[in-house]
Amino acid sequence: MKINENCVGCGQCASFCKKGAIEVLGKARATDACIECGICAPYCPVRAIEVQV
Amino acid sequence: MKAIVIGAGLGGLLSAARLSKAGYAVEVFERLPITGGRFTNLEYEGFQLSSGAFHMFPHGPGGPLARLLEEVGADVQIVRSGQTALRVPLKKGSTDYGAGFRDIPFYDFPALLSNKDRLKTAFLIASTRKNRPAGSTLQAWIKTQVKDEWLVRLADSFCGWSLSLRSEEVPVEEVFEIIENLYRFGGPGVPMGGCKGVIDALEAVIAANGGIIRTKTEVSKILVENGKVTGVLVNGEEHEADQVISNIGHAATAGLCGEALSGEKYAGYLEMLETLQPSAGIKICLSAAEPLIGHSGVLLTPYAKRINGINEVTQVDPKLAPPGRHLTMSHQHVAPENVKDLEAEIELGLKDLKAIFPGKKYEVLLIQSYHDGWPVNRAASGTDPGNETPITGLYVVGDGAKGKGGIEVEGVALGVAATMKKILG
Repeated sequence: MKINENCVGCGQCASFCKKGAIEVLGKARATDACIECGICAPYCPVRAIEVQV
Repeated sequence: MKAIVIGAGLGGLLSAARLSKAGYAVEVFERLPITGGRFTNLEYEGFQLSSGAFHMFPHGPGGPLARLLEEVGADVQIVRSGQTALRVPLKKGSTDYGAGFRDIPFYDFPALLSNKDRLKTAFLIASTRKNRPAGSTLQAWIKTQVKDEWLVRLADSFCGWSLSLRSEEVPVEEVFEIIENLYRFGGPGVPMGGCKGVIDALEAVIAANGGIIRTKTEVSKILVENGKVTGVLVNGEEHEADQVISNIGHAATAGLCGEALSGEKYAGYLEMLETLQPSAGIKICLSAAEPLIGHSGVLLTPYAKRINGINEVTQVDPKLAPPGRHLTMSHQHVAPENVKDLEAEIELGLKDLKAIFPGKKYEVLLIQSYHDGWPVNRAASGTDPGNETPITGLYVVGDGAKGKGGIEVEGVALGVAATMKKILG
């Protein structure tokens, strides 16, 4: 999962992640727990999450 | 009559509720899978965090937002918060909380001034209600009146908490309109259920009036003919409407109009949009077993380095946290030049919290920042360009088009009320 420069760090993705795999500190970052499920992506208000298919 | 609303944030849903109540066929298009924009709950580790707002109405049950909710028949209970408190150092002359502090009620702020300045302030509090200052920033105005840095600290903390701006960024007129609204409507309150309590109630009203909300549905274009809005384009399909209410800010709305806004006639509007600045801020969400603030009022922290104020919403609605825990949230304004260095700003905020709550046990749940495309306010308070656009039948609501003197969501409500008056008469 790639998080691009649009990210503002609002943490919305983290609240929808089922794996607790997103850390937020000014920007979101996917941790090793990320399974690339892509659930978070549509919740991003600024289109910052690019899920690799 | 048909109205289309772009964006299911608070402004969009308030508009949809009001128009559907007036008999309009209403359809709301929301790009995200959830409604509420920056005014809803985000569930996180059993806590009801928020997507932006602080689970608070700046003017509580008597303010513009509460009134509009009542007018549309939205079933929301808003509980008035306790008095706003100011955390000040124990010793006069201290510039931080290191050597101890005490909390005083907000309205006692003149007690920290010299006798002379206290008299001057009492005079100003009375005289400015009739003769409002104008033509400068709040900070510049204060400095012409009273030479005590305490008032600037207080102003920065109040403006930071309520507007996410520094006192040197806020027009003094806007602040005096806010002060008048505080007299008129009173201080803050908390909606039961948090932000989502409000969003759910509005959705119920819209559904009861036959309105439709479509999530995961993006408007790609606003259709305009001869300077009048005719509808929107969604997934390549035209949806006709008599009125279009946009809740996505003036700039993005103009973007959806495309070439319809080209030409000399619209150059002034487009130039004005270039000057709009969103405001930025950081929210730190804390979990604690023992209360950190201990009352339902806002705690302003004028002697912190970054944090402007903190609230503890579980003092009103314990269900916003798991049993036995409190939810405490701090807000700090981020100056435009510091947006590129958010991590450093967050560090300063976390350090502040240690100084504000020494010896207290808490956990940092989530740190949320807001700027640029997902800001605190799309238009910094005092610069809102109104609800109309150069296109007939196309209006903008939300925090990019707040009403005068309206703090945050109160400004959203004032803007929606003004728009509804224009449409419904």
